[in-house]
Order: sequence, then structure tokens, then C-alpha cells
Amino acid sequence: MTLKRQSVIPPARLLAVVGGLIFMANCGGSSSTSITTTPPPPTTNNSVDLAVNLGPTDDYINGLFASVEVCEPGSTTNCATVPNVLVDTGSYGLRLLSGAVSGLTLPAVTDSGGNAVQECIGFVSLAYIWGPVVQADVHLSGETASSASIHIISETPQYPVPSSCIPTGPVGTPEALNSVSTLGANGILGVGGFPQDCGSLCTDTSTAPPQYYSCPSGNCNITAVPKTATKGQVWNPVALFSTDNNGVLISFPSSIAAGGAATAAGSLIFGIGTQTNNALGSAQIYGVSDQAYFTTTYNGTQYSDSFIDSGSNAYYFLDSGTLGGLECADNTGWYCPAAPLSFTVTNTGTNGTSGSLTFSIENFDNLYPTGYAAFNDIGGDSGNSLSTDYFDFGVPFFYGRNVFVGIAGQTVTGVSNVPYGFWAY
Amino acid sequence: MKTMARVLLILTLGAAPAWAVLGEYESSVSLDTKFMRGEDRVTSAQGYKLHQITSPAGAVVTEYVSPEGKVFGVSWRAPVTPNLEKLLGSYITPVQQAAQAQTRRRGGPFIVRASDLIFVSGGHMRGFHGSAYVPSLLPKNVSAEVVR
Repeated sequence: MTLKRQSVIPPARLLAVVGGLIFMANCGGSSSTSITTTPPPPTTNNSVDLAVNLGPTDDYINGLFASVEVCEPGSTTNCATVPNVLVDTGSYGLRLLSGAVSGLTLPAVTDSGGNAVQECIGFVSLAYIWGPVVQADVHLSGETASSASIHIISETPQYPVPSSCIPTGPVGTPEALNSVSTLGANGILGVGGFPQDCGSLCTDTSTAPPQYYSCPSGNCNITAVPKTATKGQVWNPVALFSTDNNGVLISFPSSIAAGGAATAAGSLIFGIGTQTNNALGSAQIYGVSDQAYFTTTYNGTQYSDSFIDSGSNAYYFLDSGTLGGLECADNTGWYCPAAPLSFTVTNTGTNGTSGSLTFSIENFDNLYPTGYAAFNDIGGDSGNSLSTDYFDFGVPFFYGRNVFVGIAGQTVTGVSNVPYGFWAY
Repeated sequence: MKTMARVLLILTLGAAPAWAVLGEYESSVSLDTKFMRGEDRVTSAQGYKLHQITSPAGAVVTEYVSPEGKVFGVSWRAPVTPNLEKLLGSYITPVQQAAQAQTRRRGGPFIVRASDLIFVSGGHMRGFHGSAYVPSLLPKNVSAEVVR
């Protein structure tokens, strides 16, 4: 817990600058002409450092780590700065290990019955996290999400995790990611393209999936939680900022050389087209589906469940069978070509934008022993055959790029026809 | 009395071997439909049959049935991964074992290639999907690619 805190600059009004930009949208791309108006409005610090290193467990490859400050609602002194939080564009909302905020008293979010709301989040790995939803002021650079609902990952749960939320059932379950050693981080900062982590389904028990629970008398049952900005579902904190709240830019100006790098550095910048450091520039806009997918075409086959995800630590695509036996000898699930392999694919957004890109894959068994944390050319299977494969553009995709994530329902000047948000690069 | 009935119901279901479907007979699909509070739509394809169960919670589970009446594959597309213990039955064991042995792949898809089970789990928050099939139960002249 820290007792000092930087002062928060009041919300900057950027209408003058936004109004001075003329955007011409065509085919999803946009070009802009800037007409400077004077004087420039006061700007909010909207940039957080991203570090790629092996993380607190000294074994994390391609993890984007940032520091997050959380305070008791309304307090400027009862705060904790939590380092080593993973920045994840594949999820929505801030989740912190209970030990990282143990010095704070954070009020519970309750359901209509007055019972504290608990949440269970499953991963594609079938591991899960479980714990209460609480309110906190979330500070990221000069931006604040006031009284935001955040998820506390219980290291010693108050209630046993309900079996209905563990896909593999209560016997022989995969581990709960409820410690630094199992999570590899102190938490997850979900800054993907939705405002909430569930949405309308969770607002009614007749449609709610096994995600939000309350536990009167110790028995946990699925409960309804509204989408309200406070005292409701867990929100992507960016969508709660008073400015720079329409998305994020993840910027890694330098690419990583073949063979990897010990570490890498980048920035998580809030807002899109709201300040001089987050202009779309020449980036192409790719609209996403209602489940945040777009289509990747490779060798004439379309993979419609493809996506960009800073929470995935590699390119996960195709499968070793399709690729003619690229499976590594030592590291199962990774690709090990004898010489670097190049792949050229075309991504197509729901708004019709299409563009090609090329990436390379090197031998993971050779790279892994370097002990480096940053690799721009590692990959593994996404499925088992053409019908289950897709392209997951993980952290290597972000190196040497500016990647924007537009939040569904928010306005970005010059961008239209993307009801479920977008990626731009 | 009501409590007693509930206890009996739980006992009965707990004892039923066909609670789960993969590798079981087609009749077990109805138990999944009940569990998901879903609607079952049956369609025929070349050499097999599909049950597509749509739940009010936005989950779509498809079960693939051979001409012999056995479920040889299941797939799902849902806001959260459905209860795989119920869908996979005894085939959950290799998935549980593999889930505990994952290393270095972080946040990516999860794939299991066991002796008689091929399993994939993919996607991201608010959009999960996956499938599983039993190679030895695949009907003649039906490609595993149909399970998706």
C-alpha cells in the first residue's frame, strides 16, 4: 500500500482538437488532416509503460506487464500500487490477486438480494479464477475509473468454487489460477473491445451463464448483475474514464530481432484519436463480430474465428498436421521448423476492410533455452484440423506495431460501421 | 416431501451412467438438453445426424450421432465454456490430465490428442468454442472435419 499519489488532472476537454480534425473514411482506412487550433487544451497523461520480461515467476514468455494503482473509492491515501499486471486485449476488466490489495478495504458489489457478488471466470485452458466483485478507484497514468467494479482473485476463497463454473467438473480439475505462481502475474488488466465482461446475458438469471454468483447461507447460485457503470458487472476500466475512453493503443515502436530479446518495452495508451499520441494515422480499421472475431484467409481457406490478443503469448494458428509435422520435440504444442518459415495471410474485418501481413516462425526448441522473454516469431497449434483451426495473433504481432482496440459502442472520430468495436493497425 | 423428492431425483441422476453424452447412445442427448434448459433441433447429414441444442444463456452445443446411434462428437460455441464433464462423460479424464500439464503456452488455445479423444478449446472471453470427438466411433466415410 502506498500513501502517496500523484494528483489527477481534471478531465480534459478535447473537443477543440477533435473538432479540428477532418477525417475522410474510405474502405475502413482513414486519412486525416490536422488543423491546429490554439491554445491547446490541458492534456491528461494517458500512457502507461509496458514491460516484457519473465515476470514475477521468472518464466513468462511474451507477457505484457504494467503497474496499476487501485484506491478505496474516493480515497487518495488508501491505495495500493500493483506491479506485474498482465495487459490483455482478449478480456474485459481488472482482476487482481487478493494478496495484492490485502491492505485495502474495498466495498462489495451486491446483487438485488443484498448478497455479495462473486465471479468465476474460465479460460480456454480450462483453468479458472474465482472471488468477489468489489468497488475501487482504478488509476492508470492520469486516467481514473471511479468506483469501478473489479474482480478479486481469492487466494483463500471465502466460498468453495461452484462446480457449475468449472468446465471439467470438480474432480481432477485443472488448477485454479489463484496465486502469483499459477497466474504468473499479480492480476489481469482486460482492455479488450467490450465495456463489460459479460453484457446483457448476465442481467437476468433466465439467460445468465455460470459467471456471476451470490452465496446466501454459503450456497453459491447464479445471480443477475446489471451492466451499470458502478455497482454492476466488472467493467473494462478504460470505458469508465472521463476522457480517452473509446479504446486503447498498444505501441511497440521497435521490432524484435530474430532470435528474440531479453526484454522489450512498449506503451499502453488510452483513447483513440483523442490526443496527439493516439492518432489512427495510416492504420486500417477492422470491424469485429459480436464475439470479437474477424476472418483470416490463408492458402485460400477462410478462418472466421480469428482474433488479435495481447493475452496470448504467441501466434497460435493452423496445426502441425496441416503444416506437415512442425511439432517440437521438446516443447509440446509449439512449432519447430528446421529453418524460419514465413506466412502471408489476409485479414478481413466485418466492415469489409482487408489487408495482408506476413510473419515468421522459428524453432521454439532452439529459442526457449536462451531464457529470453520477448520473441516475435514463435507459434503453435490453434486446432487439430482445418475445420477447428483459426489464427490468434498474440503478443509477437504487437512488436514493431501500433495496434488499436476500439471499444464497442464508443465513438471514434472517422470510424463507423463497427457496432462491436474494432482492431486497427 | 418436496425435499425427499429432490433427494431421490439427485440419486437417480447420479446413478445414471448416461448423464454424459460423448460415446453414449443418442438418448443421452435429451439429458444435456434438459441440463442446458435448451431447445434441440435435429438435422440429418450424409452418414450422420446432428442435434443442435440452443440454450437461453447463448450457448449452442452440437452433438454428432452415428447411424449406430452413438454420439461420436460434440462441439460448442458459447459465452462461457459449457460443462464439459457432462458433455464428455468418461472422456473428460484425458482432458483433465492434459489441463494440469500445460506449460509455456499462455492464453492460447488448448488441444488434447489422446489415444481415443481429440479435443480442442479456443476463443476468448465472451466468445468460447471447441469440439471433441472419438476417432474409433467415427462412422464410415465421415470425416472428423465435420465435428467443428
